[in-house]
Amino acid sequence: MTLINIIFGLSVGFLFGFILTRTGITKYPRVMGMLLLKDFKILKFMLTAVISSMILFHLLGDFGLLKVVPKNLDWGKLVGGLIFGTGMGILGYCPGTMAARIGEGKKEAIFALFGMALGILIYALTIKPVKETFLSSEINGDIFIQLGVNKWLIIIPAAIIFSAIIYFVNKNFSDNKKIF
Amino acid sequence: MIDNSKEWNWFKGGILVSLLSVVTYFIFAAIADRNYPFGITAGFGYIAALFGNLFGGLSENPVIKRFSDKPDAFIEFFILIGLVIGGYTASKSSGTFASENIPAVWEKYHGKSLVKRYVFVLIGSVLLGYGAALASGCTTGNILQGWAHLSLGSIIAGIAFFAAGIITAKILYPKVGRQQ
Repeated sequence: MTLINIIFGLSVGFLFGFILTRTGITKYPRVMGMLLLKDFKILKFMLTAVISSMILFHLLGDFGLLKVVPKNLDWGKLVGGLIFGTGMGILGYCPGTMAARIGEGKKEAIFALFGMALGILIYALTIKPVKETFLSSEINGDIFIQLGVNKWLIIIPAAIIFSAIIYFVNKNFSDNKKIF
Repeated sequence: MIDNSKEWNWFKGGILVSLLSVVTYFIFAAIADRNYPFGITAGFGYIAALFGNLFGGLSENPVIKRFSDKPDAFIEFFILIGLVIGGYTASKSSGTFASENIPAVWEKYHGKSLVKRYVFVLIGSVLLGYGAALASGCTTGNILQGWAHLSLGSIIAGIAFFAAGIITAKILYPKVGRQQ
């Protein structure tokens, strides 16, 4: 039903935007500070969410309550990722935080919103050669199938490594140091 | 220069995003028949499809078709609107709402010229859109969700985001941090 879809979308967006802004993830100096390897609040925020979601999703999957569908690996992930990262470095924010920034009164983000839509439009226009070059072959994105091991043998070490990264950057870098 | 004193800490923000992801997964599965928590890129894709259908006669283009036909792009479009409202509410309620043309840090290092910044914003946002479409997801879809699922495609995309972002940031702010 359309109305349910609209209300659902608005609610998820509202909560996500509220969290992003309230946690300070949307700030230009924070994003640039992270990319300059000086301010790691965003990294800590992201890895905390990743660790928690990783355990929750796979636990609920084990109980048969949901099914995790991994994204396959193709050249588009690498090339698209590099293009995206360059854009993020130039802008100082990513698509989700861009939308939240509009709400915070940052005017250039409105312009960026249309720029991003234009980027997708250009992608649509170039889809034929792009598909042949980057998306013609893909490998299954399921890391557990690829490595052939019990999934918790990857999840638990991954959680430990991510936690160690959080611990290290939290110990060595302040969230409130003046960088710029 | 920036007031960070009212921010939530990274742990609280991270855990809340992870809980939102899990809840969203179940609702998405129920109403839009897809096995993925929320993303952002398809919402921008929906806007691109609107323009593509209106002016470009692109209704047969596979990318445009995907973003205009599938209900999840429609929902993600409303997630985008929700993000704007969430960012507005969070910044107003915490007293951090501030109307601003271009980021203050940019102004300090690259000058007050609006034209110059907007040229960069245009280039950056087009790259962001193109890259997110090619990598089938942005920071939200490929890191917050994709890393949690341990998808091979998302792991590579996320690493590429950071690699390119770090290099771009270093080029834009070569002197930051050197004296410290």
